[in-house]
Amino acid sequence: MLRFFDADKDYGTPVADVAATDVVSLSIDGRQVQVPAGTSIMRAAGQLDIDIPKLCATDSLQAFGSCRLCLVKIEGSKGVSAACTTPVEAGLVVHTQTEKVIRLRRNLMELYISDHPLDCSTCPADGDCELQDTAAALGVSASRYGFEGENHCAAEKDTSHTYFTFDASKCIVCSRCVRACEEIQGTYALTIEGRGFESRVVAGQAENFEDSECVSCGACVQACPTTSLLENSVIDRGLPQRSVVTTCAYCGVGCAFKAELRGDEVVRMVPYKDGAANSGHSCVKGRFAYTYATHQDRVTTPMIRSSIDEPWQVVSWDEAVTFAAGRIRAIQSKYGRESVGGITSSRCTNEETYLVQKLVRAAFGNNNVDTCARVCHSPTGYGLKTTMGESAGTQTFASVDKADVIMVIGANPTDAHPVFASRLKKRLRQGARLIVADPRRIDLVKSPHVRADYHLELLPGTNVALINAIAHVIVTEGLEAKEFIAGRCEQVAFESWKRFISQPRNSPDAMAAVTGVASEKLVAAARLFASADNGAIYYGLGVTEHSQGSTMVMGIANLAMLTGNIGREGVGVNPLRGQNNVQGACDMGSFPHELPGYRHVSDASVRGLFEKHWGVKIDDEPGLRIPNMFDAAVSGSFKGLYCQGEDIAQSDPDIQHVEAALRSLECLIVQDLFLNETAKFAHVFLPGASFLEKDGTFTNAERRISPVRKVMEPLSGKADWEATMALSNALGYTMNYKHPSEIMDEIASLTPTFSGVSYEKLAESGSLQWPCTEDAPDGTPIMHVDEFVRGQGLFAITEYVATDEKVNKRFPLLLTTGRILSQYNVGSQTRRTENQNWHSEDVLEIHPHDAEDRGINDRELVRVCSRAGDTVLRADITDRVQPGVVYTTFHHPQTGTNVITTDNSDWATNCPEYKVTAVQVNKVTGVSEWQARREVFSARQIAFMEQADS
Amino acid sequence: MAGTELQHLIKMMNQISDNMALTENDELAAARVADHIKRFWARSMKEKIISYASSDGEMLQGVSMAAIRLLQPRP
Repeated sequence: MLRFFDADKDYGTPVADVAATDVVSLSIDGRQVQVPAGTSIMRAAGQLDIDIPKLCATDSLQAFGSCRLCLVKIEGSKGVSAACTTPVEAGLVVHTQTEKVIRLRRNLMELYISDHPLDCSTCPADGDCELQDTAAALGVSASRYGFEGENHCAAEKDTSHTYFTFDASKCIVCSRCVRACEEIQGTYALTIEGRGFESRVVAGQAENFEDSECVSCGACVQACPTTSLLENSVIDRGLPQRSVVTTCAYCGVGCAFKAELRGDEVVRMVPYKDGAANSGHSCVKGRFAYTYATHQDRVTTPMIRSSIDEPWQVVSWDEAVTFAAGRIRAIQSKYGRESVGGITSSRCTNEETYLVQKLVRAAFGNNNVDTCARVCHSPTGYGLKTTMGESAGTQTFASVDKADVIMVIGANPTDAHPVFASRLKKRLRQGARLIVADPRRIDLVKSPHVRADYHLELLPGTNVALINAIAHVIVTEGLEAKEFIAGRCEQVAFESWKRFISQPRNSPDAMAAVTGVASEKLVAAARLFASADNGAIYYGLGVTEHSQGSTMVMGIANLAMLTGNIGREGVGVNPLRGQNNVQGACDMGSFPHELPGYRHVSDASVRGLFEKHWGVKIDDEPGLRIPNMFDAAVSGSFKGLYCQGEDIAQSDPDIQHVEAALRSLECLIVQDLFLNETAKFAHVFLPGASFLEKDGTFTNAERRISPVRKVMEPLSGKADWEATMALSNALGYTMNYKHPSEIMDEIASLTPTFSGVSYEKLAESGSLQWPCTEDAPDGTPIMHVDEFVRGQGLFAITEYVATDEKVNKRFPLLLTTGRILSQYNVGSQTRRTENQNWHSEDVLEIHPHDAEDRGINDRELVRVCSRAGDTVLRADITDRVQPGVVYTTFHHPQTGTNVITTDNSDWATNCPEYKVTAVQVNKVTGVSEWQARREVFSARQIAFMEQADS
Repeated sequence: MAGTELQHLIKMMNQISDNMALTENDELAAARVADHIKRFWARSMKEKIISYASSDGEMLQGVSMAAIRLLQPRP
């Protein structure tokens, strides 16, 4: 793929937002250059490698024109012009190095220096400071203005923030930090207070950074040209000496980062400007929360034990895999081939998940393999494959830049997908309209310069009723995209669906009693979405984690097809994937019914391909899904599990049932970074490797395959793919890959949608969106452009079937769960970073009316009880939740949020219904029985590990 | 009383019927449900639900029972 710019170079102003065909020709320092109309003179000069000095300008921000260092002379115009704010014009003749502009620039730099500490040699950013570099480039090392006058050199440092320091004495008030917070992040936490000499950067209402609305994305630190804002890690450990471009291991956005190192130590993670998913932006997790990788809790040696009531024994890798393989084979001899299985990890790479499913199918000899997508986006796979033919989202993240009406359903992007949320908010500030469907008032409903046009505050569990009512309005008012439907969709199915959806029982009036959403509001939202030139739907686990998760995904697909919003930029069905490699884990054949590339195990021709390559017979029947494994374990027919990089004893619903299942296993092999909750029930512990310790690829929510690159050696001596290989070899099924690139080559040779993917091509292009094939060698940014993968789109009937989780006298409230910005899923990574400072415990959000009814005061301990179990946590009284609904997170194991969630699940995929649990809440003074039991069990297991260490 | 595993299978089976039997044609509904079970349920799960339907089946809906009959090998 051709590149027209250097990703590491700062061109001073962004790419002009005009069609590339509208080109302007001009002369700069006697050289001709052609650039798109609207480009600044500064950027045009950069294209010729002519550096114009700048401080307030950077190409991630709109031109501002405050520092005046970029003055240039344009022939025929009066005086001098700022290169950053002056757009090119045809025939301009620009001079960047006249005696006058050089004199002016030097004078300005002297003024800057006269109010800046002269401590470069002791400054922690010495050598990484734009002010220092620019002064040197201008030949300015002293100031004629002296340092005796009034200045800011004694200004106090703000050291309040966990991850960075603001040294006001170094600030030149260029506003780059303020503009980064506004333009890139969209939080508006910073401002310039005062005028003239008194002007200064302040956070919030003149608070310190930590106490302000700052969300710690790091955009301000990244933008600062003088290192007034600087990472504490750099202050403490010094500037990095080298960097490696890799992919973040947190959410499904899949941001590209430069891991910057000093020696073998990561000093900071800097968002990579050329990252296609993040375009140089980051969030608090990817940017700062990486130190878990070297946390003291890391277990770096293999361990084994005969029973979970015994201490661990530290052993070599050979001993560990031999022990594990022996146990697995003994179980299979005693209980049968299907008595064991495996779980692949969405936190691991594509190559690693591929190997685990291969091990299960080839070495275990069954299809009992599943992945954590089971408990998050499995309904997305089912619903989108049924209606459109492919188990994946249809767009790029950048597509939102062209959306006119955006519908966000059951997702909380500002907390769970923050970098995408920033992009979304930018589009909203440009005028796009917003519909939010969520039981809770998420930040997108109302935040700085963002207001949802409609917040459809539905009751948990009523998504399908809501989407049906929206579709009903569009159909009965004749607002559907008739031409698109006639040309692109199955007509018989559409007519049948149209009859169904037109029935009065699906009307907004009828459904209002179910959803709690006033029909007038719903009708207005439906009309708004139907009227959009480009309507885009974004959704999350608030859609999938329901008893009708798959039905709702099909309802969303129906709505997109009904309004013709498929197959171009600005539209589409966009599942926001929870973990970094959920998409990839699914693509790689982690589901028990599908081989890599979503091909059913019953397809003899597909099985034949794999059987030939792998040299084994593959079972033609689907295997057990995770909940089925637990049930089978409790009933005694499932006895061995290989679990890579998942903490099922914290993340899966009805934990007491999960614990019973894990206790009944005769061999539980856990591969993880830490002795997590699941590992406390294990017989074999294989130390895992963090994303910094291995090569591979992750696939994000846009189907974008991005390289993961090793920046330090695995602490345990093996990357996860090597550990799986060792286990497989010990089981007698030989795997002999020398590098993950060989695994990708195998994947590409067996999976049509990956046929054009290789490490060489990824290195060349940066990333690729599958399908990447001979017909689409550069990948496929937008799916279903001319036709659907299944040929014609299928309108699926989406009858609303109420969940069994209903409120009653005993359980009168509905609990729904989610994530918070600073923590990530089960928290095993983020709890081992300073992010813990912001969210040290899970709390229960409860509406003031519900709290008052129960005599509950803010921060008091409350017991939450469901038919599955009960737990105790603190109350957070807030009207963010509606009366009758309570909300919490599941980041802390001691909370045991999933003790409360039930065995209810999606009808099609078994995805648990985390989002709807009928509960009662009451005030208490102590922990629950389960919490007390867990504390004892956990302490004992940690002691067993410490005994092994000693 | 069925054990937890069987209880879950029965519940899932009926849930699938509730969500797939969206037609007045019972034969078609049963065929859809049976196809879903064939494609997504493990061998052992199918065997257990067939065994339950043969021996008791009281907690299974009509469509579920009809679907299970389609799963059984023809004599």
